[in-house]
Order: sequence, then structure tokens, then C-alpha cells
Amino acid sequence: MFGRVKDAVADAAETLRRAYSGVAVVELNPEPFRVRNHGSPVLGTECHPGLEASTATCLEPPLLREAVEAKVLPSFHAELHDEPGWARWGAAAEVIRMAPLEAGRAAQVAVPPLPRQPRVQGRLEPVARPAARRLSEPIPKPGLRRMEATLGAVAALPGLEVMLALGVPIQGENIQRLPKGLWMRYSLQLVRGTGENVRNLEVLGLFNIPRKGVADLRHDPRQGRLLLRLEAAALRAPRVPFILARRKDDGSLLSCFVEEP
Amino acid sequence: MAEPIKLAYFIAVKEGASYLGGLLVTDTSGIPLDFRYTEPITPTRLQSILYGKSLEPHIKEEVIQKTLLKELKTPPDLFILSAAELSGGWSGDQKYPVLAVQKSQEAPLAKVGDSFRAGPRDLLLQLAEGAAPLRVMFAASVDAAGQEQAMVKLLEAGYHMDLTEPLERVTAALQSLVVKDA
Repeated sequence: MFGRVKDAVADAAETLRRAYSGVAVVELNPEPFRVRNHGSPVLGTECHPGLEASTATCLEPPLLREAVEAKVLPSFHAELHDEPGWARWGAAAEVIRMAPLEAGRAAQVAVPPLPRQPRVQGRLEPVARPAARRLSEPIPKPGLRRMEATLGAVAALPGLEVMLALGVPIQGENIQRLPKGLWMRYSLQLVRGTGENVRNLEVLGLFNIPRKGVADLRHDPRQGRLLLRLEAAALRAPRVPFILARRKDDGSLLSCFVEEP
Repeated sequence: MAEPIKLAYFIAVKEGASYLGGLLVTDTSGIPLDFRYTEPITPTRLQSILYGKSLEPHIKEEVIQKTLLKELKTPPDLFILSAAELSGGWSGDQKYPVLAVQKSQEAPLAKVGDSFRAGPRDLLLQLAEGAAPLRVMFAASVDAAGQEQAMVKLLEAGYHMDLTEPLERVTAALQSLVVKDA
């Protein structure tokens, strides 16, 4: 197996070797590639009597001008000048000494002191004092005004009607503190005045109220008092005892004035 | 026959921007005998600024109070104010005892007529049996003897009427007058 492969490889190598070994070598003429050694022309100088005036021809574009115009530039003139530097160069070199380093010629230079106070730059110029002018026209005096700031007396108005229109509470007398004989007398007058059986009556209170001028009367059982709305006649009327009672059977109210003994 | 006791009740109130006061004279039943009131006083803005905090006391004492006191034909037996009015100072007449009455929440005293002195011008007075005693504050102008006389009259009037109620009536009347004017 390996033998075949080796042979095959050897064949292939031989084939390649033959293929490239058969290239023909062509001899080329080396002449074109040789560098020809031409001799440099000998430098020579030509002597001219002087500088020729150089002229230059300036061709104008034909589109602009038909004719070709030549301009002659000014000629250069050469002048021979003396150049002593070359001569000095050849003779000797000149030593130049710098003055600050020369001995004996140095001087002590005093360092100027720094200024103690810096100068203020840009100082504003003082404002010019305004000129005083006298106002010739005096300011007029203001007018004096008077506003009443005091609280003066007020009028007192009668208002008894207003007060009488409000309910006047009348407290009941404490019946327990009345003398027993007096209370018996009042009870008898109540029975006579109302015509009711005394057993059917519950006394709500004994009040001293004006005999006249009572416009309205209401009982306030919570506080045991009467609320009266009075008329002006009540002010002059005598106060007399007034008994307010309630019938037990139907709860209706009964009342009568009783006479003091 | 002794003259019936007259009680004068004075109060000055502020309703809105106006001040007004009323003076009610009653008998011992609380029935009105006379009632005077001042027309409402509305201070201007300038007056409010110039008087400052003294505006209200000045109006109540110097203007309203003095105006109404001039209307009293005969001096009352007792001149009764609200507690606030009395604490603000009283500069009125000294011909009659000036005092303030106030309901209290204290326990009843032993019997009607008893008193308990809480201070030289402040005391509790039992007017009705079993009820809370009445607190009475006298003005500085009322001396001890004047206070004793006033207490006798308070007891007599308190038997028939609620001594604190008329002040509420005067206030209600003044408020109704302001509403009527508005």
C-alpha cells in the first residue's frame, strides 16, 4: 500500500521536475541594458564682452490680441564690488569682547526699592458740588381741616313698649311659706271663683300680677312661673294675688284673682 | 307704708359695629317700670383709630352709661350690672349700691338669707330654699354697711323674682331694637 503511494508521489515529483526543467534559456542581448559611459563634456567658460541684455518675449494670448506683442525687459547691469570680508577671513579672526564681562568695567547696579504704596490708578474725579439755588416761590401752607373725633353724647330714647312686649316672667309664691289661715282663705276664694270642687283642683301657683293690662299669660311649668305680656295700663294697676289651678279630670286651666284680707 | 323697692338694670352691648345700652327699672316682681336705651353709636374709622383699645370702655362708660344715668328721675335701691360690666370698672354715681349678680353652681347654703363671703366684695347669698345661692359682687364704692343694706333688699326682691333674668331681657330688647333699625 505504502509502496504504491510512494511510487505515486515519486511519479508526481518527476513529472513536475520535468515540466519545469524543460524551459529553454534564451540568451538576451545585454546591450540595451548596459550603461553606456558617455564622457561628460568639458566644462568651459566663454567670455562675453558683457552681460547681454536679456530679453524676454511675452506672448499674449491670441484670442485677445491678434498681433503678438513683445516687450523688452530692462537689462541687468552687473557691477563688480569689493568684498573685504573674504580678505579678512583669510587674514585673522577678530575677537570681540562683550563689555559687561570685561574686567574692571563692571558697575554695581542698585536695585530700586519697591514702592511702599501702590499707586491707585483710575481714580474718579470728584463730583462737582451742586450749585445751591434759591427757590424763589414759597411752598403754600396746607389748609387745616377739622374732623370730629370725639364721641359726643347720644340721646336716650324711651322704650317701655318694647320691654313690655317681651315676656315678663313672674315667679310663683312659695305656698308652703304662707300662713295656713291665709292659704285657707285663698282656697275658698278659688272654689267660689271657679265653681269647681276643691278636690278636683290642682293649684299650680300663686302669683302677684297686675290686676289690669295683662295682654297675654302663659304658664311655664318647668320653672313654675308665669310669662306675661303686658300693656301700659299694667304699670299703674295694683298687684294682686292670682291663683292658677288645673282641673284634675280634664287638665284644663282655671284661674282667679283673690283678695288680700 | 314703705316705698316699693326699685331695681335698675344696666347693660351696654356691641351689636355689629354699633354700641348701644339700656337701662331697665323694675319692681320686685320684675315688672318694668321704665326702660331707656341709647340710639346705636357707630364710631367712625378715624375715631376707632384715634381711640384704639380705649374706644369700647369709653363708649360704654363715658357715653352710654352717663347718658342713661341722667335719665334716672329717682335713684334706684339697687343698681345691677352684668359681671363683665362691673369688672370693667364703674365710674358712675355712688348714691346707690352698685353690684353684679350671677347664678352659681355652688351647693345651697343652710337656709334662706344665709350668706358666705368669698371676698371683701364677693359673696354668696341664699335666696330660695334648696336652690343654688346667688353670687353677688359689689363695686368698690360700696362699703360694708352698704353691702349689708343691699343684701336685705336682694333678699326681699329675690323672694319674688329671679334677680338675674332682667339683664337677659334688656339684652334681648336691645337686640330687637338693632334689628328693627337695620
